[in-house]
Amino acid sequence: MPLYILQRLGMMLLTLWAIVTLTFFLMHAVPGGPFVSERMLAPEIEAALNAKYGLDQPIWVQYLSYLRGIVTLDLGPSFKYPGVSINTMIADGLPVTLRTGLLAVIAVVALGVPLGIVAALNRNRWPDTTVMLIATIGVAIPSYVIATVTLYIFALRLGWVPTFGLDDWRGYILPVFALSGFWISFVARLTRSSLLETFEQDYMTTARAKGLRPGQVLFKHGLRNSLIPVITILGPVVANLITGSFVIEQIFALPGIGRQFVLSITNRDYTAIMGITIFYAAALMVMILIVDLLYAVLDPRIKLTEASA
Amino acid sequence: MTEPILSVRDLKTSFFTQRGEVQAVRGVSFDVYPGEILGIVGESGSGKSITCMSILRLLKPAGRIKSGSAIFDGQDLMTLSEADLSDVRGNRIGMIFQDPMTSLNPTLSVGEQVIETILRHRKATRAEARARAVELFELVRIPSAAERLKSYPHEFSGGMRQRVMIAIALACDPKLLIADEPTTALDVTIQRQILGLLRDLQQRLGMAVILITHDLGVIAEVTDRIVVMYGGLVMETGPVRDLFATPKHPYTRGLLASVPDLRDDTHRRLTPIPGSPPDMAHPPSGCPFTPRCPHAMRICATDLPPIFGIGQGARCWLHHPEAPPSLLPSREKVPEGRMRGPSP
Repeated sequence: MPLYILQRLGMMLLTLWAIVTLTFFLMHAVPGGPFVSERMLAPEIEAALNAKYGLDQPIWVQYLSYLRGIVTLDLGPSFKYPGVSINTMIADGLPVTLRTGLLAVIAVVALGVPLGIVAALNRNRWPDTTVMLIATIGVAIPSYVIATVTLYIFALRLGWVPTFGLDDWRGYILPVFALSGFWISFVARLTRSSLLETFEQDYMTTARAKGLRPGQVLFKHGLRNSLIPVITILGPVVANLITGSFVIEQIFALPGIGRQFVLSITNRDYTAIMGITIFYAAALMVMILIVDLLYAVLDPRIKLTEASA
Repeated sequence: MTEPILSVRDLKTSFFTQRGEVQAVRGVSFDVYPGEILGIVGESGSGKSITCMSILRLLKPAGRIKSGSAIFDGQDLMTLSEADLSDVRGNRIGMIFQDPMTSLNPTLSVGEQVIETILRHRKATRAEARARAVELFELVRIPSAAERLKSYPHEFSGGMRQRVMIAIALACDPKLLIADEPTTALDVTIQRQILGLLRDLQQRLGMAVILITHDLGVIAEVTDRIVVMYGGLVMETGPVRDLFATPKHPYTRGLLASVPDLRDDTHRRLTPIPGSPPDMAHPPSGCPFTPRCPHAMRICATDLPPIFGIGQGARCWLHHPEAPPSLLPSREKVPEGRMRGPSP
């Protein structure tokens, strides 16, 4: 097991390197640069800026020096905001994104899974049809529609929550809801179908034939097996939610990194693009590793063994 | 005569599907006496498994018990509350199923699956339940029992898993064990072992067993009495010896004639029963065996016969007390070699 984790971490570093390389060269292959704008800069100034940030060097020299920076966990300076390093840029935006993201994750698990259970237990009766109707709507409606509609109703019309800002807990309600709405619905549907499939299994009949109480049958025998597909998608969902959403952060004016990421692309802020890409990739890979480790806990048939060869 | 431990009366179970009502069990009655092995035999779709699932009310949601009673130890299992019934399940009535590969929960250790049953029905500490589980594993002859408690089902062979299932079913010393085709999914050599184990345990523990099977060899070998089912009804019932020696119902005769006898060296062909079982979504009003019966009469297609005879009874108009004896098929029609009784 520890060897397995080490191996996986090694693979992650390799994957990260591939992502860095690919992003780096793709980014530079696109015409234009951080200092090209409608307002033409004097050629001397542009040359001086390029020299300052090393953009006048051959591309492989830039690549190597960037790699050197990453190894020392230095993501370099921002090209757009003088004096701001990408490290501080992420450090500034991350707490906000992380907080809303984690709250959204909690909402997905705390609402999605129980709603799915309620639906499955009441198959084809009103609680099931109600939950599934809402969940279908939740999957179909894009998050920005949820965001603007709820903003209009609850903030503007009813005034129950602020329209923007995270000054108190009420400020979190709408952004978290908009972020998690789709995934709550998705997880509810998945939990329901997975549970219904498990209910058909022979070992569920065995559990009842043993005289176990309904709660034991459901939670000990049913849920454990049903949650494997849910855990599978939860990994990427967590990575997705904690790295922020441009749209939601834009609508609610949250100073998170999701917003920074998209702005950095329009700004052609090379180091910011790289830094946030690396951050997102790393988060995703860590989550997938955690999910794989969780599988082994949930399902003893899955043995985590080192790759042979 | 001793009181039966289980008395099933007029049990009717249907499945409600898109095709409409499928009448799987259409009025089944039988008794199980303490300490005996009752065999329920029939081809697939005869309603034998559904009958037993109905007794413990373990049917899938589409299935519904329409009427009937099942008196066990003075209580009607059909009217007991779900909570009271769950006190009986796994405690006073144990059950094992056809496919040991899917009947155990793959995510729990086999020990846990035994222990949770004990803890559910007995006042025991975890350590006591664990000790009892080791005892049970030894009882069903799982080698190195104590270590094997920690294993998971996928680390066991089919035969070993069925032993675990038996250990679970016996965990609380049941008075009745329902075994639903316990050997069907196993290799032939393993079938013998499991069957031997079941008979051995039944004798040592003195419990009653309902053994459901479509294998007449199994029936002949271990059971005391037989219930032959066809089309959701009991066709014939009686002591195994009588039934094998003088099968009364044409269906029972057909069943016996379709079993190969390796001691028979006359190279006689096996005689299959022509036709196929009735469609239970539209059960016939008369005897369900009529279309396949070589002795069918006009009344057979229209009127369902009751069970004639005491001790060994057959649901067949041929055995009506006033039926002329000439109607009865002569015994020669059943090949001699097939009529042997169970081996002693």
